[in-house]
Parts: sequence; structure tokens; C-alpha cells
Amino acid sequence: MSTALHTVALTADPEVILAYGELTDDMNPIHIDPVYAASTSMGGCIAHGTMSICLLWESLFRSFSEAEWLRLDLDVRFIKPVRAGETIRAGGEPREGEAGCYTVWVRGDDGADRVTGTVRLLHEEGQA
Amino acid sequence: MKPVILWDDFQPGAPLGELTEVFKPTLAKAWRDIFGHDNAGSRAEGAGIAVAMMMRGYLGVVTPRPPGNVQARQRFTLDAPPQPGEVIHTVVTCLSKEIKRERRYLDLEVRGTGTGGRSIYRGILSLIWAA
Repeated sequence: MSTALHTVALTADPEVILAYGELTDDMNPIHIDPVYAASTSMGGCIAHGTMSICLLWESLFRSFSEAEWLRLDLDVRFIKPVRAGETIRAGGEPREGEAGCYTVWVRGDDGADRVTGTVRLLHEEGQA
Repeated sequence: MKPVILWDDFQPGAPLGELTEVFKPTLAKAWRDIFGHDNAGSRAEGAGIAVAMMMRGYLGVVTPRPPGNVQARQRFTLDAPPQPGEVIHTVVTCLSKEIKRERRYLDLEVRGTGTGGRSIYRGILSLIWAA
């Protein structure tokens, strides 16, 4: 595949963040308690970082054949937190000269990166 | 009550603990409540559950934690989707730690295996530990 990945979006509403907290058993008040979160340096609730990774999975798997399970290596950095209520978009582009490798990103309402890094598709031998 | 795990307590190369958990229907429901029920059973769901199992394993083993930890980086090798009802065994190990720019950095490996020991995922959480 030599085209950009499908871009997918998710709004990190408080209900969505709470559901992710239940999924991961992570009920850190920074994610779900607006009063507590307002008292921290974050100034308000933020989404779990790995929720953005799950959105990247949506982008990746929608971009490839339904018949194909993708073994892959992901390596991303968390640049900036996703604020509660923010709409994030995930996507990526193929890396030139690197077969099966993509630059991936999750961006916020302002278009700036929240997460950025690479995904490398693995073949059976474990090599890209 | 167990004392809070401090950065000084981590020893590179030392195992931190293990957790065994079943991939329950409630996890799939929680994923679908976020990403859509029309995506039920999708490959993205399987991959998402693998990430969720990683976080559940880390949070279940490395506890209690000081408030204010930050995750800086995530590396993740996705091998296979967990199957509903599958028992997932998670092992957490400290890989390394260092002080950089006056911050306490940790790399923790979280490995998940399923039926017959098949590899589901291998994650490395790079964390800035608060205390």
C-alpha cells in the first residue's frame, strides 16, 4: 500500500474517557474527576494516552484488506495531552523508501500533534 | 497497605510481577461503547483489547503508584488478537531507568501471552516517574 492511511476521528467526551477508564481499569482522577483535574497542572481532565493508540488501530486496520491481520511494531511519543471534549484525528503516511512503514499521528482540534511516531508492518518472519 | 512504589525501588532487569485475566465480554462492550458497536469483532477491536490488557497488566502489577506519573513513549509489538474468553497472562519487568534532565525515566516491559503461551503483544512503557 502506497497511499495515506484512512483518517478517523473520535471526540474525547467525558463519557468516552470514562468508558476507556473502565476498559483499562484506569480510574486516575486526572481522567475522570473534573474538580480534581482542575486543581492540577493539567487544569482539567485529559484522556488516557493509549486511547489515542486505539484510534490509530482504527486508522490502520481500516486502511488494509479485511482478510489481513496485521502484525506490527508501533513506536510513538506522547507530545501533548488530549483534553476532555477535544476531537482527535488519527492517520498516517507511508515513509519513503521504507516498505511497510508509516509515520502515524494523532492530532487535536488545533491540528497539532498529540501523538506521533511510526508503525512498521511485520511479515511472518518478523521482518518488515 | 503496600507502600507507594518509588523510582528508587525499580531495579533494571528485575521482574515486577504477573497478572492473569480473562478477556471478558465487559471489555469488548467498553471498547464498543467508545469506537462503535458496528465495529464489534473487528481487527481494530482485537488490537485495542490487546492494548487494554497491557494497561490493565501494568496498572494491576505496578501498584500503588505515586500521583503524577507521565507516559512519554509507547512501543508495542502486536502479534495476535486476544480471543473472547481467552486467559491472558501478563508479565511486567523493569528494563531500565535513568535520570535525564532531572526527570526519573523508566522503561517497563509488559508482555501478554494467551492460550498455549502464544504471544499476544509486547509493550514497552517509557514513563516519567513522579517520585
